[in-house]
Amino acid sequence: MKLKLTWLLTLFMAFVMQFSFAQEKTVTGTVSTASDGLPLPGANVIVKGTTRGAQTDFDGKFTIRVTVGEVMVFSYVGMKDTEVVVGASNTYTVQLELDNALEEVVVVGYNTATKEESKVAQVRISSETIENRPNASFVQTLSGQVAGLNITTSSGQPGGNSLVQLRGVASINGNTEPLFIIDGAPVDEDNFRSLNPQDIASIDVLKDAGATAIYGNRGANGVIVIKTRQGSYEQGLRVNYAGFVAWNTLQDNDYNAMSSQQLLRFERDFVGNGAGAGNSSGVFNPGAGSPMTDAQIAAAPNFSWTDFFFRTGVTQSHTVSLSSGSSKATQFTSFGFQDTEGILQDSDLKRFNIRSNVTGKSANDKFNYGTNLTINYSKSNEPNSIGSGAINRNYVLGAYISVPYITPDDYTTGADLLSPLSFTNTPLFLLDRLRTYTRFEEEVKIVGSANFSYKITDWVTANVTMAGDYQSESLTRAEGPESFNAILFGGAENPTSGFQQQFSTRAFSYNQVTSLNFNKSFGKHTFDLGLYTEYFKAHFRQFGYFANGLNPATFSPGDGSGLVPQAGGLFNDEASAEILNAGLFSYFAAFDYDFDKRYGFGATVRRDASYRFAGSNRWATFWSVSGRWNIDNEAFMEDSAFDTLKLRASYGTAGNQDIVGGGLFSAPDLTEDFFNTASGYGNLPAIGVAQFGNRSLQWETVAQLNVGLDFGVWQNRLRGAFDVYERQTTELFQSTPLSAVTGVTQQNANTGELFNRGFDVQLNYDIFRGDDFNMTVGVVANYNKTELQDIPNPEGEIVGLGRNGGIFGEYFTLRYAGVNPANGNLLYYTANGDVTENPDADGDRVWLDKNIIPEWNGSFNLDVDYKGFFLTTQWNYVIGVDRFDNDYADLIDPSATGQFNLSSDLFRAWQQPGDMTDIPSLTASNLFSFGDSDRFLRDASFLRLRFASIGYNFPAKSLEGTGFENVRVFVNGENVLTFSEWRGFDPETRSNGSRVYPTPRTISVGFELGF
Amino acid sequence: MKNINKILFVFLIAILSGCNDAIDIRQVGRLDAANAFRDVDDLRSGLLAVYDQIDVTPEHALSANFTDEIAIGFDSGGQGFALYDFVLNAASTAAFDFWVRGFRANHRATVLIEAAQVITPDAGDLADYNNILAQAHFLRAYANFELTLYFSPDPSDDSTLAVPRIDFIAGLDIQPRRNTTGEMFEYINSDLQTAMSLSNVQSDATFVSMDAINALRARIALTRGDYTTANSLATNLLNSYGLANRTQYVNMFLDSDNTEIIWKLERTLNDNYDGQGATGSVSAGGWAGARYAFVNATLSGSPYFEMDRSVFDLLDPADIRYDVNVAPTSVISGDYTNDPDPINNDILVIQKYPGSEGRPLMNDLKIFRSSEMLLIAAEARVRGSSDLAGAAGLIDQLRDARFGSDQAAPTYNSVQEALQGILLERKIELCYEGHRYKDLKRVGTAAGVGIDRDPIACNLQSGACTLPANDFRFTLPIPIVEINANPGIADEQNPGY
Repeated sequence: MKLKLTWLLTLFMAFVMQFSFAQEKTVTGTVSTASDGLPLPGANVIVKGTTRGAQTDFDGKFTIRVTVGEVMVFSYVGMKDTEVVVGASNTYTVQLELDNALEEVVVVGYNTATKEESKVAQVRISSETIENRPNASFVQTLSGQVAGLNITTSSGQPGGNSLVQLRGVASINGNTEPLFIIDGAPVDEDNFRSLNPQDIASIDVLKDAGATAIYGNRGANGVIVIKTRQGSYEQGLRVNYAGFVAWNTLQDNDYNAMSSQQLLRFERDFVGNGAGAGNSSGVFNPGAGSPMTDAQIAAAPNFSWTDFFFRTGVTQSHTVSLSSGSSKATQFTSFGFQDTEGILQDSDLKRFNIRSNVTGKSANDKFNYGTNLTINYSKSNEPNSIGSGAINRNYVLGAYISVPYITPDDYTTGADLLSPLSFTNTPLFLLDRLRTYTRFEEEVKIVGSANFSYKITDWVTANVTMAGDYQSESLTRAEGPESFNAILFGGAENPTSGFQQQFSTRAFSYNQVTSLNFNKSFGKHTFDLGLYTEYFKAHFRQFGYFANGLNPATFSPGDGSGLVPQAGGLFNDEASAEILNAGLFSYFAAFDYDFDKRYGFGATVRRDASYRFAGSNRWATFWSVSGRWNIDNEAFMEDSAFDTLKLRASYGTAGNQDIVGGGLFSAPDLTEDFFNTASGYGNLPAIGVAQFGNRSLQWETVAQLNVGLDFGVWQNRLRGAFDVYERQTTELFQSTPLSAVTGVTQQNANTGELFNRGFDVQLNYDIFRGDDFNMTVGVVANYNKTELQDIPNPEGEIVGLGRNGGIFGEYFTLRYAGVNPANGNLLYYTANGDVTENPDADGDRVWLDKNIIPEWNGSFNLDVDYKGFFLTTQWNYVIGVDRFDNDYADLIDPSATGQFNLSSDLFRAWQQPGDMTDIPSLTASNLFSFGDSDRFLRDASFLRLRFASIGYNFPAKSLEGTGFENVRVFVNGENVLTFSEWRGFDPETRSNGSRVYPTPRTISVGFELGF
Repeated sequence: MKNINKILFVFLIAILSGCNDAIDIRQVGRLDAANAFRDVDDLRSGLLAVYDQIDVTPEHALSANFTDEIAIGFDSGGQGFALYDFVLNAASTAAFDFWVRGFRANHRATVLIEAAQVITPDAGDLADYNNILAQAHFLRAYANFELTLYFSPDPSDDSTLAVPRIDFIAGLDIQPRRNTTGEMFEYINSDLQTAMSLSNVQSDATFVSMDAINALRARIALTRGDYTTANSLATNLLNSYGLANRTQYVNMFLDSDNTEIIWKLERTLNDNYDGQGATGSVSAGGWAGARYAFVNATLSGSPYFEMDRSVFDLLDPADIRYDVNVAPTSVISGDYTNDPDPINNDILVIQKYPGSEGRPLMNDLKIFRSSEMLLIAAEARVRGSSDLAGAAGLIDQLRDARFGSDQAAPTYNSVQEALQGILLERKIELCYEGHRYKDLKRVGTAAGVGIDRDPIACNLQSGACTLPANDFRFTLPIPIVEINANPGIADEQNPGY
């Protein structure tokens, strides 16, 4: 029927054409932009309904043959199409307006909305700012890109976990990280090492309650919704290759570590201990009896163990993607391979990714479907004991404080290091470990989802999204039987010591959202209603063994041939296995109303049940309301400079059911009392008390108020968003002290409040906007301040946590006052501010109003492109972080003389009355008496060139005939330059630990080819 | 509209069927309170868990680190510096550990005792049942005695404040105040009485027997100043066990001889204490020998604490206690007092816990030995009836056994001199067994003896060399952790803190 009609019409049109007496003429004109009146070269002019067309020249001028009554359509990318009917005139001046209809669609909750209609605080990151960055995990790349989103990566391990926090810290013990959803699948927020960042199309960060309340029990910390790339309908096959090589190096420090010559002289002249003093038990100058002479010291080797344990790590990454689409189906397929060497010896990550995304629709377009599947395999060597004080296990410790007069040439065998056993030989213990210890993790991660929707009528749609996340990790570690550590702890009776451990965990989670969505407009009124249920179930399985005793003849890491049978309890093997299950169920509704694109109102409500609280408070209700006023769409704004001006407000609640912060399966039944059967006295089986149940357990609730303004002025040259918020966490799950007579000293319970108040600013300004030259500067900023209330004890303060009205995690210690010039002893302040050498280690501690959580963080951005060249820089800053510099404390501890390297600052140590110095006497009588003070507390604020990229896009013209559609080359840098008072290797680390693995500086070179 | 109905129907199904399996999840492998103790076998398993709460390595660590048993080792990594400098306050690990550990043991024993009340044993199990209860009561008494000993400023004075008396399973919101020492000893004695009445084992090296109950009674009597009881209980036990000969003495510390052992805590491979524990911390746990060295009890075993010269100088090389306590690999300076580099030229490695079962540093923890009974009897004789000659005779008996030959009997001319003599003998007989701190607290003032470290070693460290026995730090403070939960108890903090 339809076909027939078309034919008829064609016939009719042909008839008309044939029999009209057309008056053809040539018209000319100019096309310019409405905003600034500048001529627009390259604009298209087409006569409607014909194939006749022309393009404007360099001056925006055009010439075209038309007949009177025909319609000329002027179009230009990014501008509104304008139609002009040909009349009597032979010249036409046409002004094109910027096209606001080219609107971004953003994610709001389970649904999407145009940016204009969105009522929530939300930021979208597009693929351009994620792709080709050399970070193994895409999360690291988000750092500094979203106001209010703080990403702290405390480990340089490739693919290592980053701490992601949105708008401060809303929980003490619970999870503080947002919910991550990839193509509809909620995924483990701590593990992205296996995923390929190059597959990501967009990331939406949902910040306020208007957007997150609908995620119920999991939305308290914000939600990050990730979409991967798709093909487009009616698109020919496009092949894209992106690859880069990166070099990772250790960042700098200002610790002034001594050279061999300095250290030996210090040992000899200042302390009288160690190789320089002739009484070392280490391999260098052992027990010589008499101090070294100046000539001997000058001849001593000077070896950098930092350069030994750290290296230049090389990364290579390759991704090939293929996308195509017909009229009813699209596909996107990608293959990725990445090999990243960490800067620390024996740390690396290799991964292989494959992804297939398919979409399609029925002939009548009523039925739509999409599937996303990614399968990933990674293997990473990850040294452990990082951050510990184990001189025989922590490579980072070896890198930082090994004495430089011992060199790798001093190493013979692990057995030789046993006697004499000397701390001074630390680097050799670690060198031995590098050679004899293996630890790697292998992971298979599969994330798949499918969504189906059917338009029942033109205003009712049924949807279902099913998603699964499967993660299988296997850990293998082995300490070789001939290693120093094995022999050391084995002893004569256990000559073939050493161990091998293998440990396998599997977790699968399934999530299904079923919904019915209604959408109807009546005149200027538009209503949207969604009814949903969500079902979530997750399963965890773990098993492994720990085998003691390895036979060196047949041992190989990961293989069982060398395992020694149990003998008299010495080669005891341990087996372990665990099963845990988790689940959530919810039903919820979302309602949206719009009036004339000027006013919008939204409300959500969600009933949520968690398996965790089955024995206490199973069901929870979360809700939100939000509204907007698109001021720019008001009549009175017609002639204003504002292109966008929108006021938003929202208030609502979301929950945090992961109250212990251990992920899906942690603390599954804290409401119950348990006994356990385990080893007891004499290693005999025993029944003991395992857990006291908390009968009133519940989720933490975060209520958030947000008021925001989106704006764009002067043709959106200046654009941005400003949001103020207050997040109030109630029912905090925290340690509540109990009298020890109960058999425990604390129980975690829901009590107390924590506030996060602050604002987000995101601003961009196009300084230059043109065809050839563009320059944009931007600022991303977040200010956040925490405040504790209702701390669960009568004093209203808990050491380690803070005090009522104070900041979260406020430090409470003695205050160090410097060195007493009279005797070189350390001076401290009493609680009253008097100076003393003998403070009360308990009573003189005070609250310092400092903590480790940033107050300000964000970035400054610059984007420049000129013709095909582009330059991007991103300076990240963090202000208001105070950390203990325990690495420095190690280096100025004179009691380590002869065992470890020291800082040359020690040469400034107090020596005689009257010396004014910051380093106490090496023999100060209270040098070790008061460990806890703010002596080593330092401001770790920093400004860092987090990312810089420079590159060139070959112009399409130059690629004609080459077969390439696009070619791009670039050089990127990460952590290029840092300004900070912090003296250590990396101010960014969010911990007060020491000897940790710093994040690297990375320079990469890469290119991208499109066919 | 028909379609919509269908879909709504599907929705309903989804809600009704989907919900429960996702949120009604019972984790596998859980043992709830109702099923934990159902018969005497379960109680026996429960008792083994209570035993596992008893540990004396924190006592070893406190005594060695705080008093004059150790010096900072040449291979020190900074362990125990603050305690060595006599820094002890409400935030110290010592206060935390003794308080929490003691009450945890009390709680676990009470749980077991209460669980036993609802079990009616078969006639065949009755003896077993009674013996289990006897041990549980004993362990509870032991824990409460330790609490009282360390937290009461004067455990011999009934009116002093001790610790809360908790003879029930306390609710989680309890905020108890301290009971008096007198009230605590009522509780302890009642437990011991019950234990004695139920126990049906005379002697057992690694489990509590009637002999162990009497040994604890002797120790309590000495602490309380009931010297007649102390003397008679201790003398009886000494007579039934006798003293080890030199070979037996050496083997006792290799865990292969029990001649002198009235009760010890077994420590074996792969048990919960098979590990280093917290080195240099009163939290301790782990191997007994790891209180002094990281790896083993030799020079190359990384000794972070060494024997203080004040102990070494009391040890005669002909005394078997020299062989037991001083590692042969020790470096001994020929002229210690004038040695230019005593740190490296005089390394006295402690060997009391050389290890057993092939595991270095792991040894059974001796709680009551007959030689302690001898020393209790000697002290009781001096303090109770000024029987100086009797005391000297006992000390001579001990020395003869340790030297393996007849030694000259000491002569004591005054009570104080006798007490000093007994303290010196205790210092070497019971060194590194956690007694010195308690001994100084009990009798240091009467004997005019305090902490008196070798001046060379302590001056090399920080100059903390002596501390009189009447110092307030011989009583532990109520720990911060308790005050946080139970603020009222802060008003009852021990003097000096």
